[in-house]
Amino acid sequence: MPGWAFRNWAGANPGGNTGRAGDRMARLSPTGSTRLFSPEGLRTARLMLYLLLCVVLMAMDQRGQYVPRMRAAFETMLEPVYHVVGLPSRIAGTVSEFSRSYAEVSAENEFLKDSLMRQAASVQQMQSLMEENRRLRALLDATTGRDFEYRFAEMVQVNLDPFSHQVIIDRGSADGVFTGQAVLDGSGVMGQVGDVRLHMSDVLLISDPDHALPVQLARTGLRTVAFGTGETTTLLLPNVPLQADVRPGDLLVTSGLGDRFPPGFPVAEIESVDRDNGETFAEVRARPLAALDRGREVLLVIPRAAVGGEIKDAATEIPQDAPEPGDGS
Amino acid sequence: MSSRRERLSTLLLVLTLALLLSLLPLPDALEPLRPYWTGLVLLYWALEVRGMVSLGMAFLVGLLLDVLSGSLMGLNALSLVVLIYLVQHFRARLRFFPPWQQALAVLGLLVNDHIIRLWIATLTGEPLPGWEYWLSPLVGMALWPWLFLLMDRVRAGRRQKKA
Repeated sequence: MPGWAFRNWAGANPGGNTGRAGDRMARLSPTGSTRLFSPEGLRTARLMLYLLLCVVLMAMDQRGQYVPRMRAAFETMLEPVYHVVGLPSRIAGTVSEFSRSYAEVSAENEFLKDSLMRQAASVQQMQSLMEENRRLRALLDATTGRDFEYRFAEMVQVNLDPFSHQVIIDRGSADGVFTGQAVLDGSGVMGQVGDVRLHMSDVLLISDPDHALPVQLARTGLRTVAFGTGETTTLLLPNVPLQADVRPGDLLVTSGLGDRFPPGFPVAEIESVDRDNGETFAEVRARPLAALDRGREVLLVIPRAAVGGEIKDAATEIPQDAPEPGDGS
Repeated sequence: MSSRRERLSTLLLVLTLALLLSLLPLPDALEPLRPYWTGLVLLYWALEVRGMVSLGMAFLVGLLLDVLSGSLMGLNALSLVVLIYLVQHFRARLRFFPPWQQALAVLGLLVNDHIIRLWIATLTGEPLPGWEYWLSPLVGMALWPWLFLLMDRVRAGRRQKKA
């Protein structure tokens, strides 16, 4: 740090034309060097102390010790700030909603009706398949698959540190959200819930360099792990064997291992497969299907009681068994 | 003493605005242009009012910004503590720079701040950001003279109202 610069500069003072510089000079010790207990030295000591504190905090936060819990407590108190900050974009959204022309709205309505019909058709097909699946599983005496419910949530429009790979959603512990809950958007897996506050929670995106997602290739069933790279457009699959049958365009779905994410949800599409003969593993990159950097609406996955089993998930108990007076949400 | 209270309340008001501005969502195209509002405001007050912004205050404001913006706990605290330390150190010199030279010094401080952030980000495993990462200090520099005048007005306005 610039302790030396102070000394060099004392000789040639560019601001010497006023009295201000006088007090600056007076604080110099006669020899012109900085002593530990001079005001200058004390400031340096204080700087060192604060820097040390910052570094310790960052290291603890990075390793997930104590700090995240402290942070969550603060964030609950600061929730109103996010409401205030999100206000302009909410107002802008409402205004643009009101100012849309009839033609636009009716075109969108047409499109939505159309896609709803198509979805309904595929859901009907799904249901018969599910029925069949359950029968076959019963025949095999296999464990039954789990069933899921979804809850809609909206992103709070707030600018966060881009290096934090987080978004904030407008549901919290009051709505039964829990840490580790899977979050999807219309096209794929987005991430998982991190800190939960009363009415809001943080979602850690799958693009975070610390995030690992157990996945499987839909075509071949090959299981591997997809890591975030810090970029919202790329996931990295570092441990796919060189000989594995992977092609660009293949779909990656969640494998359900690790018990965080339910199996079978689309995650990403393989973008490139780099087979270097000198390496043990191929370098495979994939592009997430979810709109990690621009979505607005998300779905929270609620694991329902196992079908045919008696295991009930604690998370689903909350909204059902404890109906609050104002249970509108 | 009461004038000090007055100044403190002005500073807190301006700081609150700066924090809100740094959280305000912007269109994606403008996002890299967002200046470091909190840093600029603290910089002004550390420069213009002697003994107003201490290292401890910079640290606390940084922690608040960390919590609000969801960044690594201590990152903004570190950034602001270094920034304020440098300003305090070169205060006498910076104060008598003409505006354009002061703006250049601000650019230097902001670039230094960005280098520290980049260093910490790479330590936590982030990839290097694109060139647009360096736009924010430039915007900060361009804004500095105007922010300076505005702050002067705010300070003078509060003082006159009181008199």
